[in-house]
Amino acid sequence: MGAAIETKNLTKSYKSKQGGRINVVDHLNLYVEEGEIFGFLGPNGAGKTTTIKMLLGIIYPTEGEGYVFGKELGDMEVHRIISYLPEKPYYYEHMTGLEILRFYGSLFGIKDDDLFKSLLEKVNLAGDMTKTINQYSKGMQQRIGLAQSLLNDPKLLFLDEPTGGLDPIAHIEIRDLILQFRAEGKTCFISSHELSDVERICDRVAIINKGRIAKQGPLDDLLKGGRIEITATDITEAFSKTIQDKDAIVSFSHGRLIVDLPDDHNPNALLDAVRSSGGTIVSVIPRRKRLEDLFLETVSGHDGSSVEIPNPNDAKEGAEA
Amino acid sequence: MRPILSIAGTTVGEAIRRRVLLIILLVGILFLAIAPGLSILSARQERAVLIGLTLGVIQLTSVVIAIVLTVYMIPNEIERRTIYTILCKPVQRWQFLVGKYLGAVAALALMMAMMTVVLIVVYAIQQQVYSPDQLAPLAKAPVMFFVQMSLLAAVAIFFSTFVTPLVNFFLSGGLYLIGSAFSSFFESISQSANVQPFAKGIATFANMILPNFAYYNVQNPLINPQQAIQNETVYYIQVTVYGLFYIGILLVGGILIFDRREV
Ligand SMILES: Nc1ncnc2c1ncn2[C@@H]1O[C@H](COP(=O)(O)OP(=O)(O)O)[C@@H](O)[C@H]1O
Ligand SMILES: [Mg+2]
Repeated sequence: MGAAIETKNLTKSYKSKQGGRINVVDHLNLYVEEGEIFGFLGPNGAGKTTTIKMLLGIIYPTEGEGYVFGKELGDMEVHRIISYLPEKPYYYEHMTGLEILRFYGSLFGIKDDDLFKSLLEKVNLAGDMTKTINQYSKGMQQRIGLAQSLLNDPKLLFLDEPTGGLDPIAHIEIRDLILQFRAEGKTCFISSHELSDVERICDRVAIINKGRIAKQGPLDDLLKGGRIEITATDITEAFSKTIQDKDAIVSFSHGRLIVDLPDDHNPNALLDAVRSSGGTIVSVIPRRKRLEDLFLETVSGHDGSSVEIPNPNDAKEGAEA
Repeated sequence: MRPILSIAGTTVGEAIRRRVLLIILLVGILFLAIAPGLSILSARQERAVLIGLTLGVIQLTSVVIAIVLTVYMIPNEIERRTIYTILCKPVQRWQFLVGKYLGAVAALALMMAMMTVVLIVVYAIQQQVYSPDQLAPLAKAPVMFFVQMSLLAAVAIFFSTFVTPLVNFFLSGGLYLIGSAFSSFFESISQSANVQPFAKGIATFANMILPNFAYYNVQNPLINPQQAIQNETVYYIQVTVYGLFYIGILLVGGILIFDRREV
């Protein structure tokens, strides 16, 4: 499989409020494999939407370059095989769901009411296709957006905050649709600041903060380095002071001890010591690192993770900065 | 071609539902309908006054509609992000802009046709004239107004690629006023013998580059005094070609700017 998206030092700068220019997207090196679901994560204002717009050729990079399916950004042939669901989209309110699909279909030269109806069914809007968009709820508008993004049976979908502002049920519906896309072999590029959505569906993620990639790699690798939480009672304060492991987080009060260990540390020695000191083990709970934690520690700059997935292009970074 | 027509079609659909435009149109039609009641002149003058008055109403209404319709067109698309879902499809920016322009022109045609129909009906009832031969010529002036409004819409679309709607409103409106009222003034200066060469140069230049909206005010010899029209048909064709040429230049200019700008 080849690259669906590749960027080299992709940069976009805007005038900052203080005067001068600020790199909103800063020497970004992305690599998205064909067929994967790629999570593009970062807090609000990180530069996600700006990056997507550059990849689509809607705005132009200040510096650097990017390729989608090997073609330069904005290539019309590429536009035939990709699609985009913008953040908080708006559709012409006077049109019905079916008319929206006819309109966007015509931009591809597609004139196929059967296709339009099957897409409306797919996103669960078949019953509402004669209602105008201003009668649609937010979730319905998002779903008509998804339907229009499927018109050309795209090989690559850009979904910008696809669950933003939706209720939990709509979240699940959208997530299921995205999983279906993967089953159909489509590549998905999903930007989000809500981690619960992408956690379970992404193959790989990049975490972007202030325009720079903080981490990029397979989700499983990034989430390595979970913790084990050991709880014990009947512990003496003297014993709690004997725990030497500097990676352990120890809390003790009223004879109750909680030790939080990195999961690559063997807990046996500690468990043995607790027992021989007369303590009682209450629980040993392995906690897989959550994407949330990774995100927070990356974004807040306190990187407690031992995992750094090297990006092949990273070496070049910084030279131009 | 297909995308251009779809975009134009959607633009018409949206335009004819815009409340502001409908209200302006209704006000225009209302004035047309009550125009006969306003004429207090003798029967001989009445006909000319009625025609002048109603054509004036059509023209004024059309100017307001043309400007209000077009100055918001591109900025609205950007603000509501509808433009993103279009430009990420195999649609070139020039196709988008031309589609938007054609949609505006089609919507204008529709609204102006409605007003013209009202004008003809009012005239027929007031003058008790029902023969098509006598009524059809009444549409000539509105057709010329339509060319004028198409030119005005092109001016506004051109500006909308780089200025805000409010600035555009004054730019396009101002250019319309200057191009309607003063172009004959510039022309007379540039042709007059006893004017300084410098002023003459400026006048000639202004006359050359400003869109000459006055060409289309065929019903109003006061505004356009030295325009002695010998052959009507030839004149109409000439000024229409002029309009199309000017529109073409404005659209190309607009496309060049729009292609480079961020949306
Ligand atoms: N046209 C623009 N002019 C100036 N600044 C902009 C423009 N577009 C975006 N920005 C700034 O770029 C930063 C990144 O924005 P964006 O890409 O929308 O972030 P995200 O999608 O990750 O929330 C923000 O600080 C935003 O204010
Ligand atoms: Mg965003």
